[in-house]
Amino acid sequence: MIKKSLFFKYILLLVLGLSFYSTHAASKEDGKALFKQYCAQCHNKNMKDKLTGPALGAVEERWEGREELLYSWIRNSQEVIASGDEYAVNLYNEYGKSVMNPFTFLEDDQIESILTYVNCMYDGSCDPKVLAAAAGGAAVGTGVAVEESSNNFLYIALFVILGLLALVLARITANLNYLSKVKEGNAPATRGTLADILTSKGVVGFLVFALIVFAGYTTINNAIDLNRQQTYAPDQPIKFSHAMHAGSQKIDCQYCHDGARRSKHSVIPAANTCMNCHKAIKKGSNYGTAELSKIYASVGYNPINDTYMKEETRMNNDSVKAVFTEWISSNFKADNGLAEEDELNDAGMRVVAEQLDGIVGSLTSDVKESLYGPIPWVRIHNLPDHVYFNHAQHVTVGKVECQECHGKVEEMEVVYQHSPLSMGWCINCHRKTDVKFAENEYYKAYENYHDQMRSGDRESVTVEDIGGLECQKCHY
Amino acid sequence: MKNHQDTTWIGITDKNNDPAMQEVAQDEFVGLPIAEAASNEKIMENASANRRDFLKYLGFGLGAATIASCETPVRNAIPYVVKPDAIVPGVASYYASTIVNGGDYCPVLVKTREGRPIKIEGNPMSKITKGGTSARAQASVLSLYDSERIKSAGMISSGAFTKSNWADVDKAVAGKLSASSNVRIVCNTVMSPTTKKVFNEFKGSFPNAKVVTYDPVSSSAMLQANMENFGEAVVPNYHFDKAQVIVSFGADFLGTWISPVEYSAKYIKNRNVSKGSGATMSRHIQVESGMSMTGSNADNRIMIKPSEQGAAIATLLENLGGGSSPYKVNAKAAKALKNLAAEMQGHQGRCLVVSNSNNKAEQILVNKINDMLGSYGSTIDFGAVSYQRQGIDSEIQGLIAEMQNGVVDAVLIWNANPAYDLPNSDKFVSAFAKVGTKVTFGLTMNETAALCDYAMPTHHNLEAWGDVEAKRGQYSLIQPTISPLYNTRQAECSLLMLANSPNLNKNSERPYYDYLKQSWGAMATAAGFSSSRGFWDEALSNGVYSTAAASTAIGGGVVAGAGSITKPSASEFEINLFETVSIGNGEYANNPWLLEMPDPVMRTVWGNYLSVPITWNESSGRFNGFKGVGDKVVKGIADKLTVSNNGADQTYSTVPQFGQMDGTASIGLGFGRTSVGKAGKDVGHNVYPWCTIDSEGNTQYFATGASVSNIVGEDKEFGCVQYHHTYGVTGSYQGEEVNVDEVDIVPVGKGYQGGITDRTVVFRDSLSNMDALLADMKKKQKNADHLNAATLYPFEEYSAELYSQGHHWGMHIDLNSCTGCSACTVACMAENNVPVVGNREVSRHHEMTWLRIDRYYYGEAENPNVVYQPVMCQHCDNAPCENVCPVNATNHSSEGLNQMAYNRCVGTRYCANNCPFKVRRFNWLDYTSADLFGGNQNAINNEDPAFYTDNIVRMVLNPDVTVRSRGVIEKCSFCAQRLQQGKLTAKAEGRRLRDVDVKTACQTACPTGAITFGDRNNKKGKLNSKIKSPLVFRMLDETNVQSSVFYQARVNNKNEKLDA
Repeated sequence: MIKKSLFFKYILLLVLGLSFYSTHAASKEDGKALFKQYCAQCHNKNMKDKLTGPALGAVEERWEGREELLYSWIRNSQEVIASGDEYAVNLYNEYGKSVMNPFTFLEDDQIESILTYVNCMYDGSCDPKVLAAAAGGAAVGTGVAVEESSNNFLYIALFVILGLLALVLARITANLNYLSKVKEGNAPATRGTLADILTSKGVVGFLVFALIVFAGYTTINNAIDLNRQQTYAPDQPIKFSHAMHAGSQKIDCQYCHDGARRSKHSVIPAANTCMNCHKAIKKGSNYGTAELSKIYASVGYNPINDTYMKEETRMNNDSVKAVFTEWISSNFKADNGLAEEDELNDAGMRVVAEQLDGIVGSLTSDVKESLYGPIPWVRIHNLPDHVYFNHAQHVTVGKVECQECHGKVEEMEVVYQHSPLSMGWCINCHRKTDVKFAENEYYKAYENYHDQMRSGDRESVTVEDIGGLECQKCHY
Repeated sequence: MKNHQDTTWIGITDKNNDPAMQEVAQDEFVGLPIAEAASNEKIMENASANRRDFLKYLGFGLGAATIASCETPVRNAIPYVVKPDAIVPGVASYYASTIVNGGDYCPVLVKTREGRPIKIEGNPMSKITKGGTSARAQASVLSLYDSERIKSAGMISSGAFTKSNWADVDKAVAGKLSASSNVRIVCNTVMSPTTKKVFNEFKGSFPNAKVVTYDPVSSSAMLQANMENFGEAVVPNYHFDKAQVIVSFGADFLGTWISPVEYSAKYIKNRNVSKGSGATMSRHIQVESGMSMTGSNADNRIMIKPSEQGAAIATLLENLGGGSSPYKVNAKAAKALKNLAAEMQGHQGRCLVVSNSNNKAEQILVNKINDMLGSYGSTIDFGAVSYQRQGIDSEIQGLIAEMQNGVVDAVLIWNANPAYDLPNSDKFVSAFAKVGTKVTFGLTMNETAALCDYAMPTHHNLEAWGDVEAKRGQYSLIQPTISPLYNTRQAECSLLMLANSPNLNKNSERPYYDYLKQSWGAMATAAGFSSSRGFWDEALSNGVYSTAAASTAIGGGVVAGAGSITKPSASEFEINLFETVSIGNGEYANNPWLLEMPDPVMRTVWGNYLSVPITWNESSGRFNGFKGVGDKVVKGIADKLTVSNNGADQTYSTVPQFGQMDGTASIGLGFGRTSVGKAGKDVGHNVYPWCTIDSEGNTQYFATGASVSNIVGEDKEFGCVQYHHTYGVTGSYQGEEVNVDEVDIVPVGKGYQGGITDRTVVFRDSLSNMDALLADMKKKQKNADHLNAATLYPFEEYSAELYSQGHHWGMHIDLNSCTGCSACTVACMAENNVPVVGNREVSRHHEMTWLRIDRYYYGEAENPNVVYQPVMCQHCDNAPCENVCPVNATNHSSEGLNQMAYNRCVGTRYCANNCPFKVRRFNWLDYTSADLFGGNQNAINNEDPAFYTDNIVRMVLNPDVTVRSRGVIEKCSFCAQRLQQGKLTAKAEGRRLRDVDVKTACQTACPTGAITFGDRNNKKGKLNSKIKSPLVFRMLDETNVQSSVFYQARVNNKNEKLDA
């Protein structure tokens, strides 16, 4: 009896642990989502550098003992300032009296989530890539990645539980055997201890066997995964924020990725697409002039007098640098309340030098000397050469939402590869997805299916039904 | 009733039922590299690595590969800075342009991807070619990516090129010219009105300048004859479609003569017999010595020696009652010509006679025959006359004399190569040396360019602007489809700059574009356009533009002029020198696709070969065992013979050729280039020097004084695909003609290729025998149905379930329309990234072409008829290859495609062994550098790096098709990428699929429309109407493979009297 209750406690503990783990994780994820939605416009995501607002790392230490005030500051900072709190007023002045948006609707636990996220980002305890994957997956709901990881956890839990159960049962049988032998009177001198059982040939043999199977399974799985890049989130030459453009500004994906509806490639937009808006919007809300200047340099645009540079100017790195030195410093002066004719202070010099270095570093390489010219974006989604994938087929014909494969890009500050892009992943989707059968005249060629649908024998036609799993649909 | 295959054969060894032939026919792969190495003990003994080393390498390689694959490389995605409106990455753009090169003319649509041309399609708006192309037009895109083109302006001294810049070269050349200089521009036919305008401007600045036009394979005499008879030195407008009787004296009008794409399309119009019983067709008689491609398509061939051609023309005229012939032809031909005359007289006004004679008197006789038969106005007119040949041979001879006399100050070589392609190029070379200033505008450092002082390289056709007037009133435009790859400049620009023309805006971004547009401006108002912009845009978009052509009135009868016809030679041995279908006059000699394209008739690759009559054997009698020359061709070994002519000895690999006149041999022109580039250098022998020049300065393309040796050696790397991938059809056994299969099974009893006898491969017969042919086909079909019913898995049971909806792809090939021109073969190579493997690999049966054209002879062995059969993967619905694949790499789609997943293939080659059609190809070596390990790409057989390893050449690859690596099988996919694209277009537009959405590369390339592709489930489609013809059959139908390719039997319109 004692053993049994112990066992149940064990299981209870395990279940509790599980639930604890999951709530804890969710809080971080919520925090991330909330941070992105409300805070990321003004506060740097790395929590260490200043942006429009201060770096949020260790914020709780700064407000230690006054947590309630911190919460009300977050909900409505102006109220706290009006109350005359010294720290709050100083902070307000330090950041050029820019007003922080009120977030009166935030619940306590939401703010707690945000702070949890801030802390973990600050101390690096949450790996941004892993968290990003989890967040993205959770948001979509059917994300394969999440399904797999949670399943794995269940399997492990199940394995442990069953293992324990087996152990308990083994003990019981051993005890019973021993008792029956005692009864028969031919009991051995010593009872087999747990150690004896665990080092017996059978157990060791089983363990070795299990180890080999497990090692083989892991090796093969890892080998299959070689070169797959799920969650790949490389640094890009320009810190372009999809969260800002597609999320906050709600720009349609296909405004920039205009190939998706008509080509196999979704197409990385040409820099002149950026110029459609950024002729007017010349300073970014996150990085000011730092990132946008890269676009201007790459298309040879002079933001000071709003003209495109002449060929000889844009091809000459020194003259391009001169333009942007002037542009960045005049913006710095304006932002810091310096008059146009004032000398640039040290901080300003540093900013100009940093941003110019950024422009040169992002736009030039071993094979490209001039600043003018295409931006060398890092390709995130890579398919092997023997795979043919066509965006138009999926976007225009299949009416698949971009997010189904790419995740919630509109929430990504840094884009990462959301889906595994493995063949199994493609195939699974082709098995499950219904073809837009009724509305497209093309599918009239499939008369039998139409008949079956009319007679009610068939509800829908999946991609698989019209040959979507065949080799030569994607490999030729 | 004779079995149709009993008398069909592919070459002399199978005609003779040689056991070696059966061996070859049984082995899918002959001469395996590993088997060869293993059988060679010496190689194994001297091998540097032993078993332990091997294991070490293996272990290390495995480890290295694993480590290497762990690190993912950073790949960039580079967008445009400013994206051009017309380009969407990933979507092909088509630009209308025109291929003009080496005497060819072809209005085309150029397919470009991401700004680089990758494929040529015919322009269906052209009234001349009607959307057809030739193998050479298809291959021209590869010449663009020739990394051995001249890459900038420069100086040349004794063949060595020194790079310079345009300003310096301009200055240097201009400094050498003065207004009074005797400048000569040497060119082959120039069809561009604007280029001629440029020439005239140049002549305006240099009044003593002259343009010298000649053609390497010339129609000079015909132009002169027409000048004399009709007052115009032009090629008339031939209507092969309107003629009932077509007689060609040596003119290979389907393969090489003047405008083969145009003529093929017209010719085939009147030869459609798809309705079977009661069909009619034209009759085509070819009078020639060697079997040309056109001759192979003829209904009757009359064999003469090359020097007898004039006499033959005169004899025909004599028989028609037009004056007596001064010379006699051989007795057999004389009799045939007599019967031919009778036949022609019965078709007054519906005859057409053409000749490639380069003798003015003979051409006048041809005109006379046409005139007597009332051809002018019916089958020939002088309305839309052709400007595709303008060269007068005597002009270039005159230039040689002028240069010899030292009166020429400067020679500008426009697009010609006279140091190579003249009969007396040696004289040209020595005279050329006396010229002070020599400039080449050519693309490549050819034989003539190497002798020049300055190089002002022009753009490739696909990088250039231009216009063409190929026929009177029929214009087409050339527009660039890529920025110039190298620092070249359009030759017209260079010339205008030398002339210091005020009409050329040198500061413009596109000076010649402006010039061209301006010269076209005048046409706008004439065409009824209000603005020249609108006119220009439309013309450029269409690529072609035609005006009503004024027709030259033909005054009076044809009067014979001065000059005499060629006197037949008394020599016992004559050599016919002909332009090849593949590389033409030599212009394309550095094009690997064309070099590897098998000659339609000889089926040889990479070189010119000596075609000798099958009777060629000094010791043995006629047809008696064919034991002399060429009895080892089946094993890929050719006998070498030495031909001596004019004191020059050349040793050739020899092909015994059916239909070659006894006492003659044939050799192709255009080979043996010495300064051309890596691929074409020293391939074959140059026989231009063996041509002769007649009293009027015209080049004669035959040699009479030649002699030939006995067998002097063996060519063990004989690049001939004749016996590769073949079935072994029939032969004779113990004096009787029987099916090879039966012989094997009955007396020997060892079975043969599954033991099925009497297989359906190809049907052919003459029109007069139509009903018997249909009956025979029906009988075969019945037999096949009977055999196919004896299966546990009747096809009908599952076919309804599998293919009753959606698409079920199929193809129809009309063997009567197929002329063997091989445009499809090259189009397939271009579309599907098929590698080029080189002569040695071909000789080991390793050619990679997905589409081969089988050539069968039938009828009289001495002078047979020919049927061509394009064979690609038949996409069997009951495919034997699929169920032997251990890894399921090849399997069947719901649309009836036999799919091949390269990345699944492990290279067992079981499928290839089990394919009855032998259409599967194995990548023995890394021909494309697609291999995982870079080290494998260095060399094939310790020769040059493989063709597709050149980064410039790789630009021609189709990005939608996987480049296959070593060790995998590949084969025709029915252009799966095109089918997917076509389906996507239909889906995106929300409509049903149409026939025009899905066209395979071979189909669009075909100049005669012999190939029709489509959906068998589309009951109203073109394919279904075509496969209803009673002449339609499927290959090897009795094996129950249920193939998806339908062939339509070949029917000729033979006149038995002409053979008698």
